[in-house]
Amino acid sequence: MNTINTLIIDGLSFALPLFIMAIGGIYSERSGVTNLAIEGLQGFGAFVGALAATLLSGFFAASSQVPMFLAMLFAMLGGMVYSMLHAVLCVKFKADQVISGVVINILAMALTTFLTSQLNASVFGAPSNKFVLGTSVRFSVPGLSSIPVVGAFFSNIYPFELVIIAAALIAWYFLYKTPFGMHLRACGDNPHAVDAAGVEVGRVRFAAVMVSGALSGLGGICFAYSISAQFSPSIYMGYGYLAIAALIFGNWQIGPTLWACLIFGFARSAGFALTQALGLAAAFSDLFMTLPYIITLLLLIFFSKSNRAPRALGEIYDKGKR
Amino acid sequence: MKRQNWFLTLMGDSKRQKFTIPILAILLSLLAGAVVYLILGKNPITAYLSYLQGSGLVPKGNYAAKKSMLTDLMSLLNAWTPMLFASLSVAVAMRSGLFNIGVSGQMMIAGLIATATVGYSSLPAPVAKPLVVLISALVGAAVAALIGFLKYKWNINEVVSAIMINYMVRYFVSFCIKRYMADPVSRQSRAISSAARLSLMDTEIGGLKMDIPLGIILAVIAVFLVRFLFDRMELGFEFRTIGANPLAARYAGINVGRNLIVTMALSGVLAGLAGATYFLGYYGSIQPDTLIATGFDAIAVSILGNSSPIGILLSSFLITVIDKGSTYMSSTVGVRQEIGSLITGLILLFAACGAFFSYLIARSRQKAADAEAKTAGKEERV
Repeated sequence: MNTINTLIIDGLSFALPLFIMAIGGIYSERSGVTNLAIEGLQGFGAFVGALAATLLSGFFAASSQVPMFLAMLFAMLGGMVYSMLHAVLCVKFKADQVISGVVINILAMALTTFLTSQLNASVFGAPSNKFVLGTSVRFSVPGLSSIPVVGAFFSNIYPFELVIIAAALIAWYFLYKTPFGMHLRACGDNPHAVDAAGVEVGRVRFAAVMVSGALSGLGGICFAYSISAQFSPSIYMGYGYLAIAALIFGNWQIGPTLWACLIFGFARSAGFALTQALGLAAAFSDLFMTLPYIITLLLLIFFSKSNRAPRALGEIYDKGKR
Repeated sequence: MKRQNWFLTLMGDSKRQKFTIPILAILLSLLAGAVVYLILGKNPITAYLSYLQGSGLVPKGNYAAKKSMLTDLMSLLNAWTPMLFASLSVAVAMRSGLFNIGVSGQMMIAGLIATATVGYSSLPAPVAKPLVVLISALVGAAVAALIGFLKYKWNINEVVSAIMINYMVRYFVSFCIKRYMADPVSRQSRAISSAARLSLMDTEIGGLKMDIPLGIILAVIAVFLVRFLFDRMELGFEFRTIGANPLAARYAGINVGRNLIVTMALSGVLAGLAGATYFLGYYGSIQPDTLIATGFDAIAVSILGNSSPIGILLSSFLITVIDKGSTYMSSTVGVRQEIGSLITGLILLFAACGAFFSYLIARSRQKAADAEAKTAGKEERV
């Protein structure tokens, strides 16, 4: 009973940040821009958020939760600003999108590691390679949380989980129900038609990459709060790449991607739970962690016909080309 | 108009731009790095000099016992070897229009299997060392060929499958190390036998204690073999044709599917050797819970070197100098050594903009030509 509860609680708190990053990726890729930069975007966003929280926490009471929400806001801003680099490279400079993504990741890691150490040494006067964040409160919904099993979905919730659900709903609405979303999706499949309809492809793609930056930043800071309560170079654990796996698994659609993220999240917490329950050495949880990737690869093999990337994904838009 | 022209003349035609654009990228990033040093109140020239001193290219003020410029240079070569192999691996795939983003994973699994089979055995050095090379090459080739096969058979994008395999390997390697191979003190895999190690560590020669990387000989041979493959051999020609235009290649009767798998396998051989020289040469053990960055850096290093073997020889050397020299720079100049990877990141960023640079150059040339034609036209009318 207790094991199942922890499984659900931990699974959700891992799956939701992953989900919001994957939605960011969907925005970017549906507009036709390959986004391998999610890993770097989430790290940079988390860095900016953690820096803001560290700088601002002095103005609030020690137990105040305001710095955390400010951190989320700044993480989104930071991720968005940093993602403009990817957008400029891919949209304006017509650089190769895969290369740009790889370079953005390398640069994010180098930049945030250097800045964290340097700022700690020269501004805060303490040589350290991390920013320690306050711990996030967790709450349970009274009544609902006491239902057996299902109640676990309503207990020990991080506040950020609600923020993510709200952000995901908004993102879903914009992508599927507004003209902007329609243009965005069309840019990934048939940019020439969008151009003919009088909408500038470059601008839509630029905006899409910025959305992906903001959402990745949000995901990054949530990981920082939930997993370690600090920002350090260990934020680059490859969750950005896992988000890419999730969105491919979800066939570039928000709904199925949620399922993919939940599967990954629960597979992860089930791995930990199973290792404990069976009395296996802790090392076995690493073995279980290979599962999401194996499942994705197998799925790609079995559904290679129905799994379809946006048609113009990764192609540089050239007005003159037919 | 005249003032702008010297820059255009310097950059040269598209052939010369292959050299001038990477150099421009390097200069721009060194300039940006210098600005960071100035902001921190340090002298950038001293800082850059200390990178060269740290990597044994310029003599230091004083040396510890049994150390000299030569020992520094040798440990630079030791670190350079895996980077050179990894970048070559990326370049071989890139010539056929394939992205081998899985070099890191291929390196790790090759290193793991070579360590597990030969690293802990009691085989004598003349058997163990070639065996390490052979096993890592085969493992790397097998994993990379699988990526090629998935693309050929089910049209699965090689970038996607390589990322999945990277992380499978990362967790699998962590599991194996923690479960079976862990050193209780360091928490890494147990150190391999010196017979299996591809670098002769702390060897006394002429009163100096140095690390001699045997792998660098293989790596330099590999550079010229790859060059020969691309320039002289039919297979290399087929690779390049597929990279340039896969449809035309198919039409010309080139077996695209077979070539796809062969290219990836070759790229994997080089990635496997990178893994061998990294884990069984440079380090001697494997660290769990991390996917090494070398494979990703190698993509950018390969771009900086224009995917040409000789270009990569130079670009990977430069990146290793910055990486290796940053430790000494940090101790003498007093700036965190992470600035080294920051400068590297900037170089790679500017290198990725290469296509944009040549576009800008072409455009301003066109503008200049247009302006000239206009004035010429006016003069005629007058």
